[in-house]
Amino acid sequence: MVFIQRLVCMVPDKLKPPIGVSIFILFALILLSLQLMSSATQESSELSAMYSWLLLVNALGSVVLLGLVGANIYSLARHTKRREAGSRLTARMVSLFVVLALAPAAIVFYFSMQFLHQGIDSWFNVEIDRAMEDALELSQASLDQRMRWHLRQAEQLAEKLRNSSETLATLELENLRELAEASEMTLFSRQGRIIASSSIDPGDILPSLPDEHTWLQLRQNGDYVALAPVRDDELMIRVIVSVKTKDPQYLQVLYPVPVRIADLADSVEFAFVRYQEMNFLRNSLKLSFSLALSLVLLMSLLAAIWVAFISIRNIIAPVKELVKGTQAVASGHYDQIVPVLAQDDLGFLVESFNDMTQRIARAHDETRLAGLEVENQRAYLETILANLTAGVISFDANYKIRTANQAAYRIFHIHVNHFIGRSLLELVTDYSELAEPLKSIQRLLEQADDIWQQRIAFLGSNGRQELLCRGTPLFSQEGSRVGAVVVFDDVTDLIQAQKNAAWGEVARRLAHEIKNPLTPIQLSAERLQHKLADKLEAGDAEMLQRSTRTIVQQVEAMKEMVDDFSEYAKPSKKQTVSIDLSALVQEVLALYMARPGVKFKTAYEAGRLMIKGDPVSLRQVLHNLVKNALEAIDVQGVIEIGVHRVQKNNADFIEITFYDDGPGIKEEQMEKIFEPYVTTKAKGTGLGLAIVKKIIEEHGGAIWVDASRRLPEMADVSQSSGSRCDKVGAGFIIQLPACNFEQL
Amino acid sequence: MPILSTLLCFFCLWWPISVSADEFGVVVKSAEMKLQGDSYVLAAEFDYQLSMRAKEALENGIPLYWVVQVKVLQHRDMLWNKTLVEGSIRYKIQYHALLNMYRIKNEYTSEVTNFSTLAAALDSMSKVRNFSVIDKAALASDQHYFAAVQVKLDRDSLPLPLRPTAYVSPQWFLSSAWYVWSLTN
Repeated sequence: MVFIQRLVCMVPDKLKPPIGVSIFILFALILLSLQLMSSATQESSELSAMYSWLLLVNALGSVVLLGLVGANIYSLARHTKRREAGSRLTARMVSLFVVLALAPAAIVFYFSMQFLHQGIDSWFNVEIDRAMEDALELSQASLDQRMRWHLRQAEQLAEKLRNSSETLATLELENLRELAEASEMTLFSRQGRIIASSSIDPGDILPSLPDEHTWLQLRQNGDYVALAPVRDDELMIRVIVSVKTKDPQYLQVLYPVPVRIADLADSVEFAFVRYQEMNFLRNSLKLSFSLALSLVLLMSLLAAIWVAFISIRNIIAPVKELVKGTQAVASGHYDQIVPVLAQDDLGFLVESFNDMTQRIARAHDETRLAGLEVENQRAYLETILANLTAGVISFDANYKIRTANQAAYRIFHIHVNHFIGRSLLELVTDYSELAEPLKSIQRLLEQADDIWQQRIAFLGSNGRQELLCRGTPLFSQEGSRVGAVVVFDDVTDLIQAQKNAAWGEVARRLAHEIKNPLTPIQLSAERLQHKLADKLEAGDAEMLQRSTRTIVQQVEAMKEMVDDFSEYAKPSKKQTVSIDLSALVQEVLALYMARPGVKFKTAYEAGRLMIKGDPVSLRQVLHNLVKNALEAIDVQGVIEIGVHRVQKNNADFIEITFYDDGPGIKEEQMEKIFEPYVTTKAKGTGLGLAIVKKIIEEHGGAIWVDASRRLPEMADVSQSSGSRCDKVGAGFIIQLPACNFEQL
Repeated sequence: MPILSTLLCFFCLWWPISVSADEFGVVVKSAEMKLQGDSYVLAAEFDYQLSMRAKEALENGIPLYWVVQVKVLQHRDMLWNKTLVEGSIRYKIQYHALLNMYRIKNEYTSEVTNFSTLAAALDSMSKVRNFSVIDKAALASDQHYFAAVQVKLDRDSLPLPLRPTAYVSPQWFLSSAWYVWSLTN
């Protein structure tokens, strides 16, 4: 019971009680069968009849156990090969167990076999052998002697009967039998017919008859004597002698062997036979004992190994689970709960493992959440950075670009993001037009040890651009340089607006301050002339009149100039309507078509190119530009005008291009051409292009000089040659936000 | 594995003996059923040839038991043959060292006979006469019957240590095959 309890305790979950019970039953059966076989080996046992069956059952049991152990070994080998969790430990423990179990068993088996063989051999030896044979011979000699004596006695009896007739013989036989103390006496004829018979037992009518073999011997030898069991296994000496009468007869005398001698002879024979038998069976006996011993050992060993497999598997089960759990944790699955199979040290280990994994899982979750938080923060910052209007580019210690935001693209029109890990100078090779600002920034980055600020102007694809750059070198806590951040803003519009505002103020003041005294000046001059003309002499009067006219004319000119200024200064009153720009351009150009010597080349994109704006102001823009071009080409030339739709920064624009083949714009004027009072012409206020730019900007558009049309060598030539160089030409590009159809 | 090697050694020792001589065993020379009165009686003749090992055992005083088994079977078309009756005669042959005789005991009749030679003893066992097997009435005239006879060495009666050997060694495969003949009613 203790065993079964232990067995059941040992295997609480994996091996359910029924299996434990069945193991116990199997063991009981094995033990019973072995015990039965052992008992059956005793010759006297009733079980000896079942010996063969028991042997078979035990052999089958061994085969079954061998199969079980074999299956276990095979499965273990497979698991080990696949390097499954716990398999190697199981293999080691099982082999250790097998070695530990096998070694003493083998020793015990070897010595048992030795003892068995020696023990059996010790039963037999030459002396006993000899003694047995001597004893048998002695018995035989003793009986032989008696037989010979009885033979002589019988011969004497036969002699007595020689002369007797058959009838007499019958009578004499009784006397002779009593005399000879024989138990039976019979007289046969030569043919075997019974002539006379006498027996000690009166009821025994039929005498014991000699068999054919006896007759044969009798006829050959003339007499016969033998010890033979007659009836009821009673040992008798049968003597047959011939009676030498005329008609030969045979006398059979049966002498009883004295009881004591018979018993002794029996005993000797029994012992001899038994000894002979044992001697003969010696090897078989050894074999059968060895067989039984081997079977017992084999079954016990196999059963022990099998149970070892089961119990080791159960011991290893938590370790296996632990290994699996550890592998799972190692591969990042922290939600592993290893089942606690037993409340022992391993169980404690498993519980601790579960505790640990839970803690790791919690820590991992926290780390993940923290990471998520950081990531969110980063994304938030990135969003902010991306949506900043200022461009931000960060650099590492080697001045390679680390990050760049969306605004950097808007300002440079370069996907700076695509150049992460490269230096600004590498961008220069791809984008030569940006060489100037990029080189400046690079230089500042390398030189500055503190926060720096610099305004950098350059000619971009949208015309002249002005950047306000601020750079900050970044230092680690140890003080080494780890990179830098550059923030830059396109301040072109801002500066322009500032300039415009300044100019507007100047114009307004000028108009106010200058225009007010002009009227009194003009009136005073006219009055002088009116009052003094009659009073002066003809020569003086004429001079007065000339001077007065000059004053009035100049005052008029000044008034006009001041009006122009005030016109520039005051905000244009915009009446916003939808305008088809190509139609407007055609309308304006129609007024100039009649000009001799000038050829207009126009290119309009098909469809309506609609914008929203004030038609009056826009007409003025076009007039100014056409006038500007006409003035530039002087007498003869070509003016190219194109209107088409373009896309820029995901927005639609209508672009008007204006090219003439006049002398072109000098480089030094390029930057200031849209400022008031900048002109290359002999006459004019220099406000034309300034007004154009103002109106365009009021419409949310942009105008710039198309630098691509400017040929530097030609410009140089024009500078060196003095005033002008033909066929260089100037170009303006105007972009106005297009009005989509759905906005109409 | 000491056990396995031991077993293997034993088998190796027997095997050469077992395959060398094959001139032994019991053969049913003739067998017939005769109608005697109201019942059928068996008359059969056998030839006993003992193997060396069996002779040796006999000479060492080990008794051998022989069983003459006789069966009457009824043939059935759809099913297996039906055994109508089974009979057996059991003989015991043993050597008596003191008398230097072979003693045969017919356990069916309890008759004991002594023989001074083994051949005479075996010869006495080789004839079966007038062994009543089945009543005539038990057999239907429209059915087909078979009789079968076999002489078997009763190995389970051998001394226990000899038995494992007797089950595997051909020296002890002395039983005759079943001798089957058709029984004409």
